[in-house]
Amino acid sequence: MLALCDLRVSYGAIEVVHGISLDVAAGECVALIGANGAGKSSTLKAICGLVPVGSGSVQFEGRDITNASGHAIVRAGITMCPEGRQVFPQMSVIQNLRMGAYTRTDKDQDADLVRMMDMFPILRERQTQAAGKLSGGEQEMLAIARALMARPRICLFDEPSLGLAPKIVASVFETLAQIKAMGMTILLVEQNSMMALNLADRAYLFEAGKIVMQGPAKELKSHPDVMRAYLGH
Amino acid sequence: MLIEILQQTINGLAIGGVYVLIALGLTTVFGILGIAHFAHGSVSMFGGYLTFFLVTSQGLPVLVAIPIALVVGFLLGLLIEIIAYRPVRDANHINAFIVALGLTMMVEGINLQMFGHEQVVIPTGLSRVFRLGGVTVPELRIYVIIAAIVLVAAMMLFVERTKTGQAIRAVAENRDAAILMGVNVKSIPLIVFGISTSLGVAAGIMVGALFAIAPGIGEGFVVKGFAVLILGGLGSFPGAILGGTVLGITESIAAGFISSAYKDVIAFVVMILVLLIRPQGLLGRSP
Repeated sequence: MLALCDLRVSYGAIEVVHGISLDVAAGECVALIGANGAGKSSTLKAICGLVPVGSGSVQFEGRDITNASGHAIVRAGITMCPEGRQVFPQMSVIQNLRMGAYTRTDKDQDADLVRMMDMFPILRERQTQAAGKLSGGEQEMLAIARALMARPRICLFDEPSLGLAPKIVASVFETLAQIKAMGMTILLVEQNSMMALNLADRAYLFEAGKIVMQGPAKELKSHPDVMRAYLGH
Repeated sequence: MLIEILQQTINGLAIGGVYVLIALGLTTVFGILGIAHFAHGSVSMFGGYLTFFLVTSQGLPVLVAIPIALVVGFLLGLLIEIIAYRPVRDANHINAFIVALGLTMMVEGINLQMFGHEQVVIPTGLSRVFRLGGVTVPELRIYVIIAAIVLVAAMMLFVERTKTGQAIRAVAENRDAAILMGVNVKSIPLIVFGISTSLGVAAGIMVGALFAIAPGIGEGFVVKGFAVLILGGLGSFPGAILGGTVLGITESIAAGFISSAYKDVIAFVVMILVLLIRPQGLLGRSP
């Protein structure tokens, strides 16, 4: 469904992703794990068109979307739930959710809004409040719901557990498992490797802008190097 | 005394409406692009001059000339975005600042070349005056106040109730997140400049009908427009509306009770006092 081939990403003169290739099949949940600064988030941003691709290609459902503009990529069916939530702080919860459906013109948007609030009851309680007034965990739920409002074909999650209390992290991952069970194709970037490997079908391990290991999540979880370096065993 | 206050409040509402329309344009542009669009006043006055020209030289009825001027204003806004501000979009903010100053001088020059240095008044033919219990209300003022309310309400509805309006807010609040929602962030500034300039032209027409347009008037109004933004709280729509109304009424009351020569001084003194107590503006959020 989504295939990156020899992707390179630079910020100015500094290259942070040194030619990575990976793919995500329809219905799959793939995790990118690794230390802070390994290039995982930059990879996601390059897929979404937020940072330019230096070289290499991004293919989505057989179409080349390398360096397409961000809004065209969303219309193609790729939605990202960004790092640090990035809700629209002064807009209400409802308005944030509706922004998620910005590219849609169908009649089911209201029904989806109700569905999201069924899935996240806290958003119904807070529907008229400004999103900036929500707690970190609530904002994360809002960001996830907002991403789903686009009815994406693949949903990218960038560090959904970052900066949240452990209890909230657990509920975020429960939510992700729920979304996965709905059949959503997921590409997840996480520093919380244990949680990510428990959820994902497959995973790629990033180190300094390169993929150093890949395989089924179960195998990576029991690999001695991964256990030592990332899982704290 | 009470009648005099009422009288000046009505006068103030009319001029306040003009301030609000100019400030709404400035605040939307500032919110999206972080640009202090100084040329806005001169462009607005261009719209007033254009209406005057259409009515007097072309013999069009005022009610035909006004929509034409508003549409021309919209197109002018698009042109300004594409020619003047888009090239400096990703550059340092000082570049846009210089472009804004240059554009102001250019538009002032164009106004002078095209319409001359004489002051002009748009002939509306609305000369009836109502007397309501001692308060004198010229018909024209009522229409100006109503038109301002309708335009402001339309702008609020557009921003709050339409997808494009929400996208404008979203870009102002978080540009990257707006891209992730599928907003085309290149087209948003175009829409913003089109609408803002159209609102500005409406204000220019009101100035031309209520008072007079002359070279330099536009610059005065843009300064007031920014004063309104600061008074109401930067980036706040309700703030711009409240700020413009407060400034208009304060000015009128000052002119009526003290002296019209001091009205600007008093208006800015009030602004300074408000900012001493509420540095974030009347409806601005505390930093």
